[in-house]
Amino acid sequence: MNDRADTSLERMARAAQGPAGALLLLLTAVAGFVIVRAPADVVQGVLYKILFVHAPAAFAAYLGFLLTAVGGALYLWRNDEQWDRLAVASAEVGLLFCTLNIVTGPIWAKAAWGKPWVWDPRLVVTALLWVTYLAYGLLRSFSEPGPRAARFAAVYGIAGVLLIPLNYFAIDLFGGRAQHPENLQRASLGVGIALPFLAGMLAMLVAFLYLLALRLEIEGLRVRRDRIDHENALEDSA
Amino acid sequence: MNALRAVLWKDLLSEWRSRDRLPAMLVFALLTVVVLRFSQPSGSLAGNSATAPGLLWVAYVFAAVLGMNRAFALELENDALAGLALAPVDRGWIFLGKAAANLLLLALAQVTTALFFAILFDVDLLSVAGPFLGVALLGALGLTAAGTLFAGISVRTRYHEVMLPLLLFPLLVPLLVGAVQATAGLLGEGRAGTGALQLLVVYDGVFLIASFLLFEYVLDE
Repeated sequence: MNDRADTSLERMARAAQGPAGALLLLLTAVAGFVIVRAPADVVQGVLYKILFVHAPAAFAAYLGFLLTAVGGALYLWRNDEQWDRLAVASAEVGLLFCTLNIVTGPIWAKAAWGKPWVWDPRLVVTALLWVTYLAYGLLRSFSEPGPRAARFAAVYGIAGVLLIPLNYFAIDLFGGRAQHPENLQRASLGVGIALPFLAGMLAMLVAFLYLLALRLEIEGLRVRRDRIDHENALEDSA
Repeated sequence: MNALRAVLWKDLLSEWRSRDRLPAMLVFALLTVVVLRFSQPSGSLAGNSATAPGLLWVAYVFAAVLGMNRAFALELENDALAGLALAPVDRGWIFLGKAAANLLLLALAQVTTALFFAILFDVDLLSVAGPFLGVALLGALGLTAAGTLFAGISVRTRYHEVMLPLLLFPLLVPLLVGAVQATAGLLGEGRAGTGALQLLVVYDGVFLIASFLLFEYVLDE
């Protein structure tokens, strides 16, 4: 069991915060500018511009859940506490971006599809992931912090990601129809839209990394506080 | 293999002597069926065949959760869980023993509930009894493979009775879709669709293998 409070991952997270924060400010300004300047869609007008937030949020959410599973697997394999901290932090930040994705979706769909919710595979699978990682958070808060809670959460985080392909297959069988615009596959991103999309993606990715770095530091501080509390309790009882 | 048999035998023996899990599962499943029956629109039963497969599986899932919650609660008394963890065998086999006991109890509850359900909902399950047993068993296998793993986790959290369904339900969706579609196929056309059966088999396989490997970290003391 590795007991270092100040792990290499945490040092990295602290060092990354300043530059990531500055880069985030810059990228948000650039993305905001190019998104506002992007031409309106022939059919949808300015409505489609929610895509520049919606799609990057989905990528950030999936990245977060993937990192949760990877962090969990590394924790089980190496038994090093810092990987558990990575799993906690990325699950929470991933859930945040997943929420952003699920909230922006219906705003667009109400106008474009006529309904805020349809049985579209990508939509349903993402919603299921949202519920799964909500349960992941509950599991963490309902178990005593420590190696056991970390192991349990790792097992659950891995199971959640294992299920993504099965969920796709299930929704297909359920009779769901793909209704998401296939912008990437068919390269239907019109003239002048690739740049704002790219800017939105970059800004969201840096936002993800920045929040992850902040959350990692908080988790490190929490672990250290628990350790000090524990030592004080031992001294009091002695 | 020996560990599997020993754990299975121990669980079944303690169930036979106490007789607490199976009766609880059965009565709960039957009560769920009654409640679901009365939650249907009054009057003709004509519209029932569309929702019947789903309702039957809801009753199965509830009964399974109730039973699996007790599977590890028993081991907490006298710290028997530590004893299991100390056994010098691969913990995957202990998992399989536990899951096999859960599967057997669930299958017994399923058959009885199905008979009751067929009468109350006026669906003809008897004419497809053989294939239906197969589908029910495939569904039960996935339910117990995932459920036994998470029961081992939830039993050592606060509010553990609440925690198992919270952990399990988000992961059950593919299994439920497969089981309900297969059952609906049997009731409608007399045969389960290959897609539904494939989904069930893949889900069972994924969770049997994943749980076998991951149980090592759940039982670790």
